[in-house]
Amino acid sequence: MSYIKILNKTEKARIEEQLDKQFGIKTIPGMIIMRGEERLFLFSGNLNENEIDKLEKCTFIERMGVYFAKLVDGKIRLSIEGSQILKEQITKNIFELNSSQAEEWMKGRELPIKTGVNGFLIMKHKEDFLGTGKASDEKIGNFIPKNRRLKERQQ
Amino acid sequence: MSSRKTYPPKPLFLERMKKLLGKDFDNYLKILEKQPVNSIRCNTLKIKPEELLIRLENKGWGIIQPFKNFPEIMIIKSSLQPGELGRSLEHLLGYYYVQEIASMLPVLALNPKPGELVLDVAAAPGSKTTQIGAKMENRGTIIANEVSIGRLKILASNTERCGVLNAIITKKDGVSLCKKLKEQGFLFDRILVDAPCSGEGTIRSSNVTNLMWNPKTIIQLSKLQKSLLVSAIEILKQGGEVVYSTCTHAPEENEEVLDFVLNEFGKNISIERISLPIKCRPGIKEWNGNSYSKEVENSCRIYPQDNDTEGFFVAKIRRIK
Repeated sequence: MSYIKILNKTEKARIEEQLDKQFGIKTIPGMIIMRGEERLFLFSGNLNENEIDKLEKCTFIERMGVYFAKLVDGKIRLSIEGSQILKEQITKNIFELNSSQAEEWMKGRELPIKTGVNGFLIMKHKEDFLGTGKASDEKIGNFIPKNRRLKERQQ
Repeated sequence: MSSRKTYPPKPLFLERMKKLLGKDFDNYLKILEKQPVNSIRCNTLKIKPEELLIRLENKGWGIIQPFKNFPEIMIIKSSLQPGELGRSLEHLLGYYYVQEIASMLPVLALNPKPGELVLDVAAAPGSKTTQIGAKMENRGTIIANEVSIGRLKILASNTERCGVLNAIITKKDGVSLCKKLKEQGFLFDRILVDAPCSGEGTIRSSNVTNLMWNPKTIIQLSKLQKSLLVSAIEILKQGGEVVYSTCTHAPEENEEVLDFVLNEFGKNISIERISLPIKCRPGIKEWNGNSYSKEVENSCRIYPQDNDTEGFFVAKIRRIK
């Protein structure tokens, strides 16, 4: 049994609507694939659903495209790649980091910053899009995965 | 203080290399003593080479772009701390891939285009899959296959970091996958068979290859490589192309494999000449009393001493009928 689900037009439109509300993103350029209840992948390949079904008859499909977002209580949290892929469309809820904040962020640390926002913010430093943080009253929570974090500088 | 253990090349290996290289054998031995150069490939899915160049130079790294037509290929001239290339912000954000120059050549030979259907038969760790994705500008489809579950995870992690949106990652042994794909009617524009091999070309960067080197393994690998390449050719479109590559010098794993498929498919395939941006030597026609078709001379032998790289073998096969 397949454990990946290709979202249909209505389901994709729902995701786009939510992304528009949160970040001003209007269109997702490709198929959205869902794995489990919450992980969303973006696939830009040109195989249609029928061909993908045929491929599944040949072999186990481990993954399609790139993990770009996670559904969290009806809201959407973009991964580093999600924020990079969709950066041209992101118009709201962007938090601009200075250089020292960006370094802390990429080390995986939460930032003790009051933003006045409660919810997800796209983290940006100069031209770099660095995923999503969750702002609450006192801080911005960090979701940079361990394998993407900057290591502490060697003394 | 710890020092890494090194292993000397086995006498039979040296004897074989001497036979392959003749007078050039001493130059080969000399280059094995030299530290390999640090090279990276700019991931053009995320950043332009000129932008990456500025960022890296601002970090104080000296960068050379050795090939005018391939500005994405960069050599780091500065001396770096061990692991520094993999720890930089630019690497973590997927702006470049740490890749040896010789290992970039199979995809330059394959030359995949946006919109095509491409199969990467033995894809992990993903250096070539991510390079294919960049060449295809995320348009068309790559089926990136890997049999090992551990290596599959590394493949997925690298395609994700590099933002390769058009890849489908599958898990199956290459020969069985090709058979199944054939049954389902899939035909590919291009296929990369970067075959599992004895790794003789990687000795400079992976000295443990000397310890693992074994003539019996070469014979076993040669059988597997022949099956893989035959299976791949069977699912090529008419006019489609397979690039066959290894990181070894052993003729049993290179020209012998090409000769085998030429006998198997006859005039339905041809071995194409390829133009690569570094010095290549033609495939050899004879080895240990066996002679191969003249067409195998169109393949490329890449020796470490010729370009200050690792060793590689690259051949392009076209399906005529």
